[in-house]
Amino acid sequence: MNKVAIVGAGITDCRGRWVEATYWDLFQRAARRTLEDAQVTTAEVDSVVYGIYNDIFEHQAIPESALTGHLGMVNKPGTRVTSGGATGFYAMRTAIMEVASGVSDTVLCIGGEKATDCYDPQSKSATPMVIDTIAKSWDPFFEYPLGATASDSYMQMCMGYNDAYPDDIGDSLVRAKIIEMLCRQGNKNPFGQRRDETVTVEQVLASRFIIAPFLRLLETCMYTEGAAGVLFANEKKAREISERTGVPPIWVKGMGAANESYQTGRGGSYKPLTSIVSDRVAAERAYAMAGVRPSDIQLIELHDAFVAQFMITMGEMGFVPLGQTRRLVDDGIMADIRELGDDRPPPKGQLLINPSGGLIFGGHFVGGSNMFSMWSARREMLRRHLPLALIHGTGAINAVFGGALVIELEDGGVR
Amino acid sequence: MSERAKILGAVWNLPREVSEVKGKDPGTYLQFNSHMVTFYQQTYGELSRFFLALRAGRLIGAHCEKCRQVMVPAASWHCPTCNFAEMREIELPHRGVLAATAPITIFPSASFIGDAPFARGYVDVATDAPIASFLPSRLRTTTGLPRPGIFVKGVELKLVFEDVREGSIRDIFWVPMKEVPAALRDAKPLLASKLDFNTPPMPEVARDAAGEQALARALAAVEELAAKVGASPRAQKDLAGRTHAIGVRTGGGDFTLHVADARIRVGAGLPPKPDFVMVVADAGVFSRWVADGSLTDAAVEGALWLPHKEAFGVLPILDRLPRSVRRDAK
Ligand SMILES: [Zn+2]
Repeated sequence: MNKVAIVGAGITDCRGRWVEATYWDLFQRAARRTLEDAQVTTAEVDSVVYGIYNDIFEHQAIPESALTGHLGMVNKPGTRVTSGGATGFYAMRTAIMEVASGVSDTVLCIGGEKATDCYDPQSKSATPMVIDTIAKSWDPFFEYPLGATASDSYMQMCMGYNDAYPDDIGDSLVRAKIIEMLCRQGNKNPFGQRRDETVTVEQVLASRFIIAPFLRLLETCMYTEGAAGVLFANEKKAREISERTGVPPIWVKGMGAANESYQTGRGGSYKPLTSIVSDRVAAERAYAMAGVRPSDIQLIELHDAFVAQFMITMGEMGFVPLGQTRRLVDDGIMADIRELGDDRPPPKGQLLINPSGGLIFGGHFVGGSNMFSMWSARREMLRRHLPLALIHGTGAINAVFGGALVIELEDGGVR
Repeated sequence: MSERAKILGAVWNLPREVSEVKGKDPGTYLQFNSHMVTFYQQTYGELSRFFLALRAGRLIGAHCEKCRQVMVPAASWHCPTCNFAEMREIELPHRGVLAATAPITIFPSASFIGDAPFARGYVDVATDAPIASFLPSRLRTTTGLPRPGIFVKGVELKLVFEDVREGSIRDIFWVPMKEVPAALRDAKPLLASKLDFNTPPMPEVARDAAGEQALARALAAVEELAAKVGASPRAQKDLAGRTHAIGVRTGGGDFTLHVADARIRVGAGLPPKPDFVMVVADAGVFSRWVADGSLTDAAVEGALWLPHKEAFGVLPILDRLPRSVRRDAK
């Protein structure tokens, strides 16, 4: 495959609800910021890939059709990707392949969501309807009628993991400590949804249960409205843009994806309940393609739908042993942003995980959340001179979709 | 036709309206009420056989003779791992094993408000097959509210059929085998009406001196809270329109929590006709409640036993009281 670089990225403010903008405007704002960041015009963009998870949220069945004109992409190819929570990852994968194949020189990958215009007349609030809309991602024959939701489905995986590895993710104090650290990181994200919030361990442990016994309100990701864009370019164009902007290109080094079976079961190709195999396989493929090991990577933007799943995913991707993911906290593996500051790489043996605040504090506008992670990873690589980063995406029932990207800063950011 | 029998009740509607809304930025914006709903006459297609079997009180799976796997529910009749070799119908037992500890939903989606707390999980039914899928299942207990420790990995389960079945995955559910009387364990099908879900037996609590001391402290704390409720408009608003006589059994003895006339009052012993009785070994749960703890959390975590979800619905109101009292005291 041809070399592919990330040459620009831009995001909107992440908000619980944007009454000031429709998704048309949110996508346009993110596109504008992405192209401004790369100092390119719309004419220089060959093609566009949209990440939009759910037609019901956008309230339109072909939402990307309305975006073509608004984004200045008339008479160019436009592909919409939708793959549950991993929509952003799969959209980027599609954009990367389009550049890698030589079909396009530059591809704008843009994703977002307008989730909280949904409204539940019964409770007179948005959240139960947002949950119900996402729950419609489960089939109408067997799963949805039982009251399945994204939360209980992910928690089923966490309970299964806990059966196999007791005394790891089951410690609510460890999970609350991670939340506290993610909160501090989210406070430093100028676009983060909860940048002004302070959440303490005590508040996490006192927040109400969503799913027993591993999920309280303050352990879950948010519903966000917003959009994010990433501009991918081939080597020639990337060098040209880098000259213009003075910002070194960041290269896509490795990419891995794996989707497990929808059906859970024992043996064969069924989805096991004790692990998130998709995360492991996706990460291993990305490492192999990049020629790196997890120990080479110190910056991770991980799709933290829920903090217990955050811990399992860190284990599956090889950063801590499975069954001992609490060492992230117990052994101080997760870097403390208060000690790290804004421009230093983490010391050896430590990892900077979700400096954006992740999906729990930064924002989770489903179709663009992984682009949001990419935006953050690039920002941190540039200012901390970190040579490598990993971006992870997960989605669908029981976390069966997994994706990972390894990216590399040219010359380690030294110019 | 009654409202209940319709797909959507009146509560699922909104007035035709464009209203003003304020956001984070200055300025006023408009929002319009709308919907994006379609109705379906959704075919069960190839799945019809499975649901027809449920209607007939049978559980069926699809069996592949090549790899010997069993798919339950019979979600396909061609084996995905054997290049779509034909699978044949097999009759499955009405007993199974919980494949993994089940999560319990406390905060449900809009369509399931009022059902919580409920447990759902994956049941390994074709336990003799070398490869088998798990059946997504409703899990119920005859011992009160679902709580941690009941639906744990490996627990043996009995399949139960609703008496009136329509052809839905909700026509069936599973209960722990040990809760099923021995004479009913081999019943095929076992009907829900044969089991008692409405009058769960109260768990035993051992009474001791330490428990009595904990109760004395708890009662003093609750009495103090009751007095403060009398001076707190917020707390009285929380209780408005409610009348309950809630029996409480603890390791130190029994008491009654009366809710009436927007006040709470402690009474001695269990009431003759309680709305319900809750049971907790450590009366300290009530001391912690008064100190801004949570009865709901105690029930969710299993320390506080409740007979049914209606009882669970009362706890959030009680949980508001210490906070309301504190806010009004400021
Ligand atoms: Zn087969």
